[in-house]
Amino acid sequence: MTAFHLGVSTSGHDPALAIVDDNGAVRFAEATERFVQDKRAWGIAPDHVPHLESALAQVGFDAARDTLAVGTSWAGVKAELGKAPQDALLPARDTLWMQGLQGQLHATAGRSLLRLGLADAPPDPMRFDHHLCHAVAAAWFAPVDDAVCIVLDGEGEVGALSVFDMRARRLTRRFRSWGPGSLGTFYGWLTGLCGFDWRKGEEWKVMGLAAFGQVIPELAEVMRGMVAVDRGRLRFADPETLRRATDRCQPHVRRPADPVEAAADLAATGQAVYAALADQVIADCLDGDERLPLILSGGCALNSSHNGTIRDRFALPALHVPPCPADDGNAIGAALLAYMRTKGCDAVPRGDGSPYLGSTVAIRMLDKLRVSARGLAVRDMGDGSARAVADCLVQGRIVGVMRGRAEFGPRALGNRSILAAPQVSGMKDRLNAEVKGREAYRPFAPVVRLADTSAWFECAQPSPYMSVTLPWHASRRDMVPATVHADGTGRLQTVKRDTASWMVDLLDACEDLCGIPVVLNTSFNIMGKPIVHSVEDAVAMLMTSGLDAILVEDMLVEKPGAAA
Amino acid sequence: MTDTDLRASVMEFVRTQISRHVKLPAERIEPGSDLIGLGLQSIDAVIMCGEVEDRFRVELDPSTIFEHDTVGSFVDDVVLRLADG
Repeated sequence: MTAFHLGVSTSGHDPALAIVDDNGAVRFAEATERFVQDKRAWGIAPDHVPHLESALAQVGFDAARDTLAVGTSWAGVKAELGKAPQDALLPARDTLWMQGLQGQLHATAGRSLLRLGLADAPPDPMRFDHHLCHAVAAAWFAPVDDAVCIVLDGEGEVGALSVFDMRARRLTRRFRSWGPGSLGTFYGWLTGLCGFDWRKGEEWKVMGLAAFGQVIPELAEVMRGMVAVDRGRLRFADPETLRRATDRCQPHVRRPADPVEAAADLAATGQAVYAALADQVIADCLDGDERLPLILSGGCALNSSHNGTIRDRFALPALHVPPCPADDGNAIGAALLAYMRTKGCDAVPRGDGSPYLGSTVAIRMLDKLRVSARGLAVRDMGDGSARAVADCLVQGRIVGVMRGRAEFGPRALGNRSILAAPQVSGMKDRLNAEVKGREAYRPFAPVVRLADTSAWFECAQPSPYMSVTLPWHASRRDMVPATVHADGTGRLQTVKRDTASWMVDLLDACEDLCGIPVVLNTSFNIMGKPIVHSVEDAVAMLMTSGLDAILVEDMLVEKPGAAA
Repeated sequence: MTDTDLRASVMEFVRTQISRHVKLPAERIEPGSDLIGLGLQSIDAVIMCGEVEDRFRVELDPSTIFEHDTVGSFVDDVVLRLADG
């Protein structure tokens, strides 16, 4: 008998589920959006029946023998807190909509167990504090016993920020911010002014665009006055001040139909103000001269541009950002907290660092593909698949790779990735225009072997989950142009053999073939869609985009004319 | 600290906080004073909860303040949590 614990992220946006076994190991974690192929999966139950059924099968759950307890990622219902949604920055209608979704998912969490015959009455889930879920999920991935953990979020049970101390892997909350004051809301507001939509998760676009602009000092001062940081706690200025700040931004606002570049200065200014505010929070949370590793989580920890500056500026021994700092990751936090409560232990279990916690590739589809993919070249490359992909890449071809278990979190880390050679002329424009269908300015990320990091980047540090953006050494930039952003940086992934052996093989092979052990790695999706989940998704993208080939496990599928 | 001292300490702190928010002298704020009657806005009530958490190292439920009509009843709840903690 195994006592499994199911964690569900019940925010209403970015639902996800995670399963922890009775040894405290995260056995499975996956965002609902992957399974249903609907970006952000707004309002969809995180224990969506077929998704949960599939996850349980993959962990070997036996209904006759095993048990499943449920934990949720919120302690309470947001709409019941009696706080009128304030609309000075984001429309109150969106807040009310999201509150409705959260209340609904909070109320029905675990009901899928009825449908699956695993319960005879609605389960009574264990409820956990939202920021504690963020902290526990982040701690699972952090290879340290003692740390300061800052959760910088869009919202929370009482405010949008919590600070925890971790000692011997036991987390204690030092304080939390109460009331309005949220860097996530600030960035959402900025995203809207730049002509993008935070509801679609387009904060990325602002961060990327910032590299093209110049900070406007007087506007930065106005924005800085929107949020006070008091001993690490965040507080918005009064609504009238916030409205005046929005008015002051109007001359720089971009309408969605305007050219993207029109918002570059606004994006640069907002990103700089975000960084200054987040820095102030971090500075307030570091005690004296003692420097412990910093664990950073919450949705704001996706700001890789800022993340890349933290470690050295604060002289930290290390910065740890999990692969899933946003609300999807809270499924892991809720599952681990449920396990810890059941077992009566208060130390957060520690993972092996692998982000590859999602679904495997459905092998039976490979046989089907072999016989039905008429007109495509289908070859099983066996142990030589990394070398075969390297051959394709150095010839300028673009390959979608679907191998092993899917990554958990928003980044493709090699198992559901589109790969290309960064040295190939025009590769960035080709990928943006012909494969991803996105704006020409958007940057692409590089993968390097961990041991090579300092040879290619300044301020070198591990970045196993693409959490930090670092400056390329100036002398290297011309060698890998497709992965060098306008400000000379790259949001790198560092890999080593114990967690990403195939990618290390690929980098070795690329070095062997062309002398450059760097590969461009972008998520295996087209703009607006989640990362591919099924073999059918991958094949559909091959046939409807500029991809030249896909590798499914070790089977290389190439378009006519693309095959060597 | 005895329970009586603790209650007195929490009461003094809460009265000072409310006084700051509603701009009334602290001596005008009695244990029986009605929170809404004093003019305490919900945003100020929320921020005061954060101040109480920071000062007394206790975690309050988000809805605690809204479950009480009077200053004294809220203070009693905080004292109870401190005693449990």
